Amino acid sequence: MKMAVIDPAENEVNKNIWIAVGTWRWVANDDNCGICRMAFDGCCPECKLPGDDCPLVWGECSHCFHIHCIVKWLNSQQVHQLCPMCRQDWKFKE
Amino acid sequence: MAASMEVVNGAWDLATKFISPWNTEVHIGCEQNNFESATNILCDNGLLNLLEDWFFEEVQQDLRQRVSPAFWKFFEGLVPQDSVADKSEQNIVCLLQATEYLHKISEEYKPCIQLLESLPREINRNYSMLAFCGVNKISDVVRILFKSVVFTRASREFRDCVGQFYAQAFSVFHCVEHDETVNDDEESTKCSGCKHDKNDCACQHIMQRFNSINAKLDEVGVLEQVSGTSVTALVHEQILQHVENTCQGNFETAYLSSLQNWLENKVLGWLKLVYSLDRTNIGSDCIEGFKGRLIHFLLETYANVQISQLFKIIIEFPESELAIMDLKYCLEKVDMRSHLVTTLKSSLETRLLHPGVNTSDILTAYISAIRALRALDPAGVILELVCDPVRKYLRSREDTVRCIVSNLIDDASNELLEELVKSQPLIDETTHNEEEDGDWKKWMPDPVDADPATASKSRRASDIISMLVNIYGSKELFVNEYRTLLADRILTNFNYEIEKEIRYLELLKLRFGESQMHFCEVMLKDVADSKRINTRISEERIQKGEERTVDVNAMILSAQFWPTFREEKITLPEHMQKLLEEYTKRYETQKGNRTLDWKSHLGLVNIDVELKDRILNFNVTPVHAAIIMQFQEQERWTVEELSTVLQVPATALRRKIAYWQSQGLLKEEQTDTFLLVEEHKGRSHDSIVAEDEEAESAMASSHAKTGEELQVFWTYIVGMLSNLESLPLERIHGVLRMFAMEGVSGEITIDEVKHFLDNKVKDQSLIYSGGVYRLPKSS
Repeated sequence: MKMAVIDPAENEVNKNIWIAVGTWRWVANDDNCGICRMAFDGCCPECKLPGDDCPLVWGECSHCFHIHCIVKWLNSQQVHQLCPMCRQDWKFKE
Repeated sequence: MAASMEVVNGAWDLATKFISPWNTEVHIGCEQNNFESATNILCDNGLLNLLEDWFFEEVQQDLRQRVSPAFWKFFEGLVPQDSVADKSEQNIVCLLQATEYLHKISEEYKPCIQLLESLPREINRNYSMLAFCGVNKISDVVRILFKSVVFTRASREFRDCVGQFYAQAFSVFHCVEHDETVNDDEESTKCSGCKHDKNDCACQHIMQRFNSINAKLDEVGVLEQVSGTSVTALVHEQILQHVENTCQGNFETAYLSSLQNWLENKVLGWLKLVYSLDRTNIGSDCIEGFKGRLIHFLLETYANVQISQLFKIIIEFPESELAIMDLKYCLEKVDMRSHLVTTLKSSLETRLLHPGVNTSDILTAYISAIRALRALDPAGVILELVCDPVRKYLRSREDTVRCIVSNLIDDASNELLEELVKSQPLIDETTHNEEEDGDWKKWMPDPVDADPATASKSRRASDIISMLVNIYGSKELFVNEYRTLLADRILTNFNYEIEKEIRYLELLKLRFGESQMHFCEVMLKDVADSKRINTRISEERIQKGEERTVDVNAMILSAQFWPTFREEKITLPEHMQKLLEEYTKRYETQKGNRTLDWKSHLGLVNIDVELKDRILNFNVTPVHAAIIMQFQEQERWTVEELSTVLQVPATALRRKIAYWQSQGLLKEEQTDTFLLVEEHKGRSHDSIVAEDEEAESAMASSHAKTGEELQVFWTYIVGMLSNLESLPLERIHGVLRMFAMEGVSGEITIDEVKHFLDNKVKDQSLIYSGGVYRLPKSS
């Protein structure tokens, strides 16, 4: 028996398709955002849609947050812009 | 003095002879003058009053001793209750003769009465019969005597005679009236009126006889006495029969006006024939009064008939709208609400609320009932009362929500969908609407049977969807079920076209609010996004000129927003695994810092299986595909071997193999050993295997879900038990309820807690004894 050998001459309709199911997740060192305590794979309280619309950012200190959360936090800091987790200067990791 | 005494005596004798109708031979020979002179003498002596009293006394005597026995003798020896035609004819003849007799007697009395009435009378005499009877004429008194003396008794035979007589007359009347308009189609040679052969139809004769008897009875003054009961009974019976004949089983016509017409023409027409053709002794208003009562009776009968078939009417709604409207009118006139409620309630219970009926059928009936009863009673009280058991019952069925939701989005029955489209957002009961003040003149109080605890507004306003959703009392449960169904649809159809789903979602959002449907929105967005990523990745593949035997497309989900997935372990064959890894890599390059976790048991694989003699194409789950692929390398596998390779438990594996068996690709050679069938010899389908492998839901069952929700509280329960040592179920549930909130699917019921705890007992992390739960000693 042979399985599903595609003859290049055959048109695409006959091409075998596999629809696989998977879930996406952020590659991060934690499950939840340290600011809003929501799951990284969910979204920040301001957002409706996760993923592209509510991305994560990493700081140079390697902590990461929802972008909306950290920006809000940084805006609220008058003097120094520190990471809310480790109190080091916050710099976006490139 | 003695002489005058004699004279007076003579005059008295003479006068009394004149006014003695029963003394026939005497009063023929006497002369008018003699009577006058005699009465003059009596008058002079003040004895006229006495003469009058004597007359009444004698009439009573006569009636009692002579007339009454003679009259009743006519009816003796008749066979009662005989409906055979000739017997009834015989009975009627008896009645005829009796009437004649009575009439004759009454005629005999007449001259005497005239004589008496011609005498001067003392007006307003206190102790006379006239004053006693409350009438002004002597003839009236005699009439009363007829009624009271002759008809003090009423034999059954007599009643039967009268009944038969009027029944015959009624049917003849109808036949006569009817024949003029419609020629009876029936081939029967019998006349429908008199039951004789058509050739010698006796209808005319019967009608004449009927009229004459009525006239005679009326002259005697006993028409009402004789006919009253029978006629009333007859008319009622006829109405009942007519209503049943016309309305039974047909709900698409309005009958009310035609019934009333019938009553007016046929019944009242006939009654007029009996009572108001120049009747002397019966007021014309009597028929009018009777008419009111008959109309009421008609409505009552009609309402009764309709109520008895109300269940069918409801099911037929809206075709049966006319019947409902009729019934509505009847209910306004006739007090039958409570009868309606109890009857309908019990018929709903017997017809619907038992295990033999599908949930979807109950729902359909419930929806019809909502519509029909809303039309019947806009205040919604009947609906509330009648459907309460239905709601309770539906609540007890597990698949109710599922049925509602799938009904809602089912293309085939778009009843509910329409409802959804046209409907308003759910009304918040607390908001008061002041607009009502505008038409305060039209305000109607709630019916008396309304439950005072609920606001009448909410009853009036709630529409079908909210009534359905309210079966459970919470939107959450409904929304959750919708989410699960949506997930299931996406993960079984794998159709990336979601316009329709988006439309439903928009409609549901209008109704349940954005926040409730938020999760579903994300789910649909996942599908759209997956489609985009798939195209991008396959473009990339084409650019690079990579050709693969199988194209991997993905459905990439946001796990946080989907219902819990059913977990199933499997290790896919290496080359399948590779395909996934490759896809993951491409995904990672597209979306920085994100990666994929595959649910390898979910999904859909389209494979060609190339056998020696044929190529077959299948759409199967990855697990199925993985199994059949194993047979590529090796023809014969035991379940155990397969189980090690694929890391799937043997029981689950065997279920999956069953599919391939049913397709005729695999064959169980020995127990637990399967062989690939390369060539088909004859039609050797393994027919033992049932093909009804249930389409498994991709989602975890609701039980598993609650268990998961409750797992959150496990530490809490442990804490509780280590402090208080042992607790009964109710207590644990109570405490949980107090602190712990609402689970995702609404409040957690005591049953769910019990189920959860019992599972813990099974795991030996809890001990149950004497009705209380406690922690095992060792811990």
